Amino acid sequence: MITEEIKKRMIAIIGPENYDDSKVGRLCYSYDATPDLQALPDAVVSPRNTEEVSELVKICNEHKIPIVPRGTGTNLCGGTCPTEGGIVFLFKHMNQILELDLDNLTMTVQPGVITLDVIKKAEANGLFYPPDPGSMKSSTIGGNISENSGGLRGLKYGVTRDYVMGLEIVMANGDIIRTGGKLAKDVAGYDLTRLYVGAEGTLGIITEAILKLVPIPETKKTILALYEDLEAAARTVSKIIANKIIPATLEFLDQPTIAAVEDYVKIGLPTEAKAVLLIEQDGSPEQVEKDMAKIADICKSEQAVSVQMAKTVEEAEALTTARRTALSAIARIKPTTILEDATVPRSEIARMVKAINEIAEKYNLPICTFGHSGDGNLHPTVPTDARNKEEMERVEQAFEEIFIKAIELGGTITGEHGVGVVKAPYLELKLGAAGIEAMKAIKNGLDPNNIMNPGKVFAKDSRKRVVVGQ
Amino acid sequence: MDRERLIDLMGEIIPDEKRILTDQADLYSYSYDASFGFFVPDIVVQPKATEEVAKVMKLANQFEIPVYPRGQGTSLSGGPLPVKGGIVLDLSRWDQNLEIDSEDMVAIVSPGVITGNINAKAMEKGLIYPPDPSSSNIATIGGNLAENAGGPRGLKYGVTKDYVIGLEVVTPEGEIIRTGGRTVKNVTGYDLTKLIVGSEGTLGVITEAILRLYPKPASTQTLMALFDDLVDSGRAISKVLNSGILPAKMEIMDQASIQAVEAYRPLGLPTDVEALILIELDGHPMAIADEMLKVQEVCKEVGVREVKVAATSEEAEKLWRARKLVSPAIVRVKPTKISEDATVPRSKIPAMFQRLKEIKDKYNLDLVVFGHAGDGNLHPNIIADKRNQEEMKRVEMAVEEIFTAAIELGGTLSGEHGIGTMKAPFMEMELGEVGLDMMKRIKQSWDPKNILNPGKIFPEIGQRLVLTDE
Ligand SMILES: Cc1cc2nc3c(=O)[nH]c(=O)nc-3n(C[C@H](O)[C@H](O)[C@H](O)COP(=O)(O)OP(=O)(O)OC[C@H]3O[C@@H](n4cnc5c(N)ncnc54)[C@H](O)[C@@H]3O)c2cc1C
Ligand SMILES: Cc1cc2nc3c(=O)[nH]c(=O)nc-3n(C[C@H](O)[C@H](O)[C@H](O)COP(=O)(O)OP(=O)(O)OC[C@H]3O[C@@H](n4cnc5c(N)ncnc54)[C@H](O)[C@@H]3O)c2cc1C
Repeated sequence: MITEEIKKRMIAIIGPENYDDSKVGRLCYSYDATPDLQALPDAVVSPRNTEEVSELVKICNEHKIPIVPRGTGTNLCGGTCPTEGGIVFLFKHMNQILELDLDNLTMTVQPGVITLDVIKKAEANGLFYPPDPGSMKSSTIGGNISENSGGLRGLKYGVTRDYVMGLEIVMANGDIIRTGGKLAKDVAGYDLTRLYVGAEGTLGIITEAILKLVPIPETKKTILALYEDLEAAARTVSKIIANKIIPATLEFLDQPTIAAVEDYVKIGLPTEAKAVLLIEQDGSPEQVEKDMAKIADICKSEQAVSVQMAKTVEEAEALTTARRTALSAIARIKPTTILEDATVPRSEIARMVKAINEIAEKYNLPICTFGHSGDGNLHPTVPTDARNKEEMERVEQAFEEIFIKAIELGGTITGEHGVGVVKAPYLELKLGAAGIEAMKAIKNGLDPNNIMNPGKVFAKDSRKRVVVGQ
Repeated sequence: MDRERLIDLMGEIIPDEKRILTDQADLYSYSYDASFGFFVPDIVVQPKATEEVAKVMKLANQFEIPVYPRGQGTSLSGGPLPVKGGIVLDLSRWDQNLEIDSEDMVAIVSPGVITGNINAKAMEKGLIYPPDPSSSNIATIGGNLAENAGGPRGLKYGVTKDYVIGLEVVTPEGEIIRTGGRTVKNVTGYDLTKLIVGSEGTLGVITEAILRLYPKPASTQTLMALFDDLVDSGRAISKVLNSGILPAKMEIMDQASIQAVEAYRPLGLPTDVEALILIELDGHPMAIADEMLKVQEVCKEVGVREVKVAATSEEAEKLWRARKLVSPAIVRVKPTKISEDATVPRSKIPAMFQRLKEIKDKYNLDLVVFGHAGDGNLHPNIIADKRNQEEMKRVEMAVEEIFTAAIELGGTLSGEHGIGTMKAPFMEMELGEVGLDMMKRIKQSWDPKNILNPGKIFPEIGQRLVLTDE
């Protein structure tokens, strides 16, 4: 509960224009990109700098008011849904690129900067910020860091975690700390930087980040390989890697996904193929040439019906852009889109694809599967309708089976989208009771009043609930 | 508890009495590491199974006896020293498992495996395990993980942390947890893997690790550049890195280290240059041929005296011999070597060299500088004689000033050797009270009785650096 007095104190810090407890304002921030999940916050605040964040957090801590940090709410795990009410923190004023350091190849940014702006700024200076989640046009760096987001280039370049060198954090008690720095190596004490990456806003608020940049690769080539057989495509993935080639991108799309994408972007994608691999390699011209020739051979030896190399940069660009629209394209089919994020070791990709298809058949569901096959991270997606309770039950059962299968194959329930509310009940499946206790101990140690994004990551009970709200 | 009873209880946990050491002579050989200090434990046990470690930890918790994990004791920061007596857990005998899975490109290892053996076995399958601390032929992977060890290849390939994707860990309270897994991507809950890596054995005992491997580069080339002026060499380093080239290794030696090597094993190096840089490039042969030319150009631009390019791998080895001889060469001058590894942002390398020079003159000490220049991780080494108390006092003061200089330049106390006992007194200077407190809270939440490797990382009240016997 926010009393008049608390409200006054907050307004004194950030000004009335940055405190919103109107019904409309609260409604706007009652949901995120996660289907079928909504809860109202008590207020929405937009601090203008770290000190203001700190002052606000101190008040929240004093009165045990939940805090939900929010970027642009594109997460898919309910991470920004204020399920326990409280105050949503927005970073619309803290959206500046503070510094580009060309000597140390770093960029210092505020949490509200849009991912694509970071990528563009780096490219304009001959540098490269590799993490490129499909949502990069709208997502923020604060959200990317908190979810440890991946993307199309993850196979070769790694994920957000690999590019965060230092952070400024406001802790649950309002204290401000700095972790890491512009250093390639740093072993002074525990790695708090990495602990906050992927912490989903449950350990503190990120108010500044030092990102690592790398030199931009000289050239890039793109191949599209078409298959009549899903498993042949999956085998190709394993074989490319077994041949010691690590492509920059190695994406898998099945027929329903391609059909949806083509319907959306209309660039002449082969909708008759059962599966498509989108493969990209970058680096020095000689290396790219050599790798691409080898990759084409491997595709053919695994019965690809066609292997085409993009002729121009524009053509290549169009293909990757098409892949990025996959989720949005599928989302147009039906009102509700349920997307999963199961990840398996690379060698198990073929088995996982097969299992997903069997599960789709068993529950009579149209599952579209696409994803970052090179790193074993698939996104089985179901276009459905939340109002159809009977179908939703089947979706729920199907996904439960997919989770269990992923873990059986040595994988995990989420590769890049995070736990949030949606997967919290499944955490124990992967981590075991002792694993969860170890994480909870850290949470309690750093946020004893449990005000930082409560209800996320750790389930209240282990009632299994995947998609259906009760 | 009395020692006899402890030995009895240990006998119930470790079935083989040869793996329980209680002799004075045995205990003495566990009383030191490669740094300073001498502390005799009460008992040493050599577990070879996770269950054994878990039981030892439970026993230790019950009776509040300190436990110190230990690999090969090559730590340069006092990490495995039993500073408060108690149990040393010698994990070096547990080296049975070393499995290379070339399809998933991972290695699965038990904690006592020697790091160099992992790379050797990976090479048989055309893969590499990149982290290459100079001690890789003697140190264990468990010790590398606990210290987050780095090496020359760190510039391009990163450090130990970048290659760990999963761990099995026994917590201080004796619970067995698994973190991460075989998937490259995983965001299921907090990133405990990265938290435990670099925690110096204070948060858990590592009993198994899953490590990422990487394809072996097609070819490598080596170049040596000699500079009349130390500051020019610093500029060459920055310029090479800003030209879009990322060498696999980039090492620097100052005049004093060149002179020491020449006095020890003459290689025909000019002793009147102020610095030399060794650069190794790897990748596709044609790409690195291009890069080689570019590096030479850059060196010429900043006024290099001479550049030597190795034509054959034998010649390359010869050039690298100079760097390998530094450590043994400098201890010939005087018996006691104090190795530091303060690290600064890359752009501050020339400034750091300047500060080191001033400190050397001010305290009139034999200070040599060499190390991993490319990532800002220099190794200023002071050569002294432990028996000369007056000189050691000056060393203590100089070391303090080196730390201060590094932190003032935006750097850290330790890039790769860890904090241990040696640098604990300086932690607050780097992290601030709040930052240190936060790490303590994590430690307390996992190890409420403070029994796992006590006395490390966190300073005791009033603790300061002591190299003399007082
Ligand atoms: C079409 C589409 C495609 C997508 N593609 C990908 C993809 O390819 N890869 C991928 O990994 N994800 C993907 N996502 C998921 C999502 O975009 C990412 O998780 C993204 O990082 C979220 O960023 P955001 O700014 O929207 O954060 P939000 O959704 O607002 O927040 C995410 C989490 O971060 C926390 N948070 C936000 N800011 C801060 C802060 N400053 N301090 C502390 N905590 C904070 C929140 O509390 C929440 O827990 C996709 C989503 C959509 C809708
Ligand atoms: C000649 C020489 C050269 C060196 N070169 C480098 C270098 O280039 N780069 C570098 O980074 N370091 C270097 N070092 C330092 C040292 O070799 C590393 O820190 C190494 O990682 C220590 O491994 P170890 O097996 O000897 O571990 P130990 O010294 O026995 O222990 C180190 C720490 O790890 C903990 N520990 C050990 N095993 C475990 C386990 N299984 N679980 C939990 N905790 C554990 C111990 O408690 C201790 O805190 C060098 C040392 C020497 C003597």
